[in-house]
Amino acid sequence: MPDRDPQLLKGVLPMLVLLLLTEDESYGYELVTRLQADGLTDIAAGTVYPVLARLEREGHVSSRLVASSSGPARKYYRPTADGAAGLATALRGWDHLSDTVRAVLDRAATPKEQ
Amino acid sequence: MTPSATSLTDRASREWFLFRFSWHMQDFPQKQYRQIKRDLRRELTTAGADVGMRRVVADLGRPRTLADGYLAELGRPVPRWTTGIVAAGLAIGFIVYLGLAYALGAIDALEATGGGSITMHPFGAEMVITNTPEEISLVSSANIAGLVFSVGVGLVAFVLGSRAWRVLR
Repeated sequence: MPDRDPQLLKGVLPMLVLLLLTEDESYGYELVTRLQADGLTDIAAGTVYPVLARLEREGHVSSRLVASSSGPARKYYRPTADGAAGLATALRGWDHLSDTVRAVLDRAATPKEQ
Repeated sequence: MTPSATSLTDRASREWFLFRFSWHMQDFPQKQYRQIKRDLRRELTTAGADVGMRRVVADLGRPRTLADGYLAELGRPVPRWTTGIVAAGLAIGFIVYLGLAYALGAIDALEATGGGSITMHPFGAEMVITNTPEEISLVSSANIAGLVFSVGVGLVAFVLGSRAWRVLR
């Protein structure tokens, strides 16, 4: 896997977290393993937990406790209405940014006519 | 189902991590910090039971890096009160050290000049130093000037060390 600038992921991680939680509610560690399974193999739990905490503090995700067989209840997260709206905005922003970046990359890759 | 018990080793490992994490989170808003710590303990316990505490703790990375992550996600710089207290302590300690060094130097000087007693005012505090064949003594009494100087230096060190102005943002 090529090296990736951590800052690249930092900007889109809240969007990915909201997206995965929209697909299916998860507890923290499960969310990390889902991100890893989706290809972010080097992502650490220590990167995801602070993002989850901020999303919850800002009201973008809500949580509920579900009894667990392996100790205390697990805390499951899911997006709120504000989170869904925030995700929609983030996705539009991402689409626009990725289109722009792709256009610039394609132009740069095309040899100029002499 | 009955929750499985966390082993003593796992609990020790979890609490040691949380202790180090707490040290780096001292300046985080306390109410939010307590919630974060509760959540982390819960995650460590449940995920530790699934995949092993050693792996879960390793996945979290260094406690300081994790704390920095939470601080960064606050979206605003917070005052570093703990650093401020340490800076103030060091500054006041340095003044005391200088005062003592000054007094010991004066005692030596008195001895070299045949002994006697002298009154000095280092940093505004009155200090009576006696060095005679019968007595070697150092008597210092607090006064307003010395107190103001020491408190002032401590306060400046505290404000600079803690970045206290961040509280206004």
